[in-house]
Amino acid sequence: METAISIKGVSKRFGRIQALDTVGFDVPLRSIFGLVGPNGAGKTTLFSVMANFLKADGGQVEVLGIDTRRIGELRGRLTIFPQDAQFQRNVPILDQLAFFRRLDGRTRQQAEQEVIETLQLVGLEAMAKRRVGTLSHGMIKRLGIAQAFLGHPEVILLDEPTAGLDPANARQLRDLVKRLQERATIMVSSHNLAEVQELCDHLAILHQGKLIRADAMDKITQSGREYDLVLSRPLQEREVKQLRRLAGVRDIQAVAANGAGTAGELAGYRVTFDFSADHADPDVIRGALFRSLLDAGISPRQFGEGRSLEARFLEMTGGVQAGGIADQEGTS
Amino acid sequence: MLVGSHTWRHLRLISANWAGSAVRSGSGLVFLLIALVFGLSVAHLVLSPVEMLMRQERSQGRQVSRAEVVERIVEAGRPVVRWSLGVKTEVQEAETSPAAPDPFGRSAAVRRDPWSSFLLDERPALLSVIFLILLFGMPFVISFLAFNQFSGDVQSRGLRYLLLRTERGNIYWGRFLGTALFSTAVMAILIGTIALYAGAKIHIYSAGAMALWSVHGFAALAVLMLPYLAVCTWVSAMIDAPFASLVVAKLVIAGVLVFALVGKLAWGPAVYFKYALPWGVQNHLLHPEWSHVLGAVAACLGYAGVFLMLGHRHFVRRDL
Repeated sequence: METAISIKGVSKRFGRIQALDTVGFDVPLRSIFGLVGPNGAGKTTLFSVMANFLKADGGQVEVLGIDTRRIGELRGRLTIFPQDAQFQRNVPILDQLAFFRRLDGRTRQQAEQEVIETLQLVGLEAMAKRRVGTLSHGMIKRLGIAQAFLGHPEVILLDEPTAGLDPANARQLRDLVKRLQERATIMVSSHNLAEVQELCDHLAILHQGKLIRADAMDKITQSGREYDLVLSRPLQEREVKQLRRLAGVRDIQAVAANGAGTAGELAGYRVTFDFSADHADPDVIRGALFRSLLDAGISPRQFGEGRSLEARFLEMTGGVQAGGIADQEGTS
Repeated sequence: MLVGSHTWRHLRLISANWAGSAVRSGSGLVFLLIALVFGLSVAHLVLSPVEMLMRQERSQGRQVSRAEVVERIVEAGRPVVRWSLGVKTEVQEAETSPAAPDPFGRSAAVRRDPWSSFLLDERPALLSVIFLILLFGMPFVISFLAFNQFSGDVQSRGLRYLLLRTERGNIYWGRFLGTALFSTAVMAILIGTIALYAGAKIHIYSAGAMALWSVHGFAALAVLMLPYLAVCTWVSAMIDAPFASLVVAKLVIAGVLVFALVGKLAWGPAVYFKYALPWGVQNHLLHPEWSHVLGAVAACLGYAGVFLMLGHRHFVRRDL
């Protein structure tokens, strides 16, 4: 596996707060790598160290084989969408982004052409001549993302890219990130675990500045892979017991329409698989479940990926929700 | 250290961008306004008595000779110039003590105070007085332009968009260059306006003398701005809050002078504290001897170099 980013024992302290504690993992080339953790876990700090905004107290980061302390050597190859960074309010969008591109060696004309093309990716081309101060919060967010996509970066760091975006724009951004995977390694931090699970193929979980786990998404979720299942009719108690006895099926829980147990109207079932056993083939295990259902005369109406990552995340962080700790990253 | 072509390109782009941003963000316009108001007020204070005098004389039907006007200006301006140059006590001593006759027929005051005589007698005195006041006052004004070179962008994290696209050093030096260019342009506008107005309204000095001395005055101001700009650049690289940066820059620039002047009352050597900034050497930019002028230029550049290097050292190492 080729490595795009190598993080080796990075530590960073802000006063009494240990923001990062010897964090280390590798990000494979051309992967979409998720970085999750509660507020204050150290995600933004880690991104800031990776981009050399912050100087690490210990350890080092290599991007494309170059120590980020020599960040100048990565000019044009590494870009970032930094969280909460503001553009100049009184300067037109086109001028600001074209200036960045001119620093990469483009002429004014080339730079402006590339900026327009990039703004088209995030649906802001009509706003090119407008000043940043006239844009909405969501538009400014998309502008920051366009800035990160500008040029032909090989590694893109996106810090909370979809926070504050409406669902349609968030979806558009996820699609764009997936398309860019063909030519770039993308690292995304997010509180939205469902989004990370859908988007990312690799994942690192941070908690209180420490790395809890870094691995391929499948490996992290396979011991408790959840799927949402809607059937043609409710299962009887006996049928549930039978299904639970199938190899690889760990649990089946009824889910009410309001999402709280079975007290309300039944919406479907949450099936938890365990694909971690040696030689376990997810397709075979899922196929066995469907056969049993069909044999019992029950038709599956819907079957989709559930919140496996959220379940694993809660397990690993001791029940802390992704956005559940007061923000301690203000200093980062 | 090798400087690549992209470095020059980045310095050029960043300095031009920053000078443009200074106008767009308002801080440049505020500085332009304050500098023009201050400079033109000084010019008004110096020029209006002369205009008034000439008007009065004309209304009384007297034709004032050029020599007479110049003499009156010189007499009125001499105390200001002497005070500015710090030669008051020395000259007073010369005027009150008996002196041997000068073989060239020069007065004791001229022999003991050739600097004032140069500024008032050999150069257009009106401009000399204006330049001396501007040399004293502009260091207080310059911080309005330079206080926010980095502070605001560090606080808003806007600088992070730039950090992956160029070296920190390029941002630091590029913004300083842009600020210096902007301040130089403002000084040129100010001195040009004053010289044109004085030349047009008061026909005392020849156009050539006015033009040459204006160029010298402009160059002196442009050079003097550099060390004070450098102090502000250093402060701005250290302090994230723009307002705090402005206050600290002003306190440093004024504090050094106040401490030296007040401190010497209690302890004589405290006066040397003024050399922490160019306060002690800056008037030599208008000295009659070129060696002094060049020495003052070198000192100003030296101060600027030291402050800039200290700021650069901090900026490239700090968390941004």
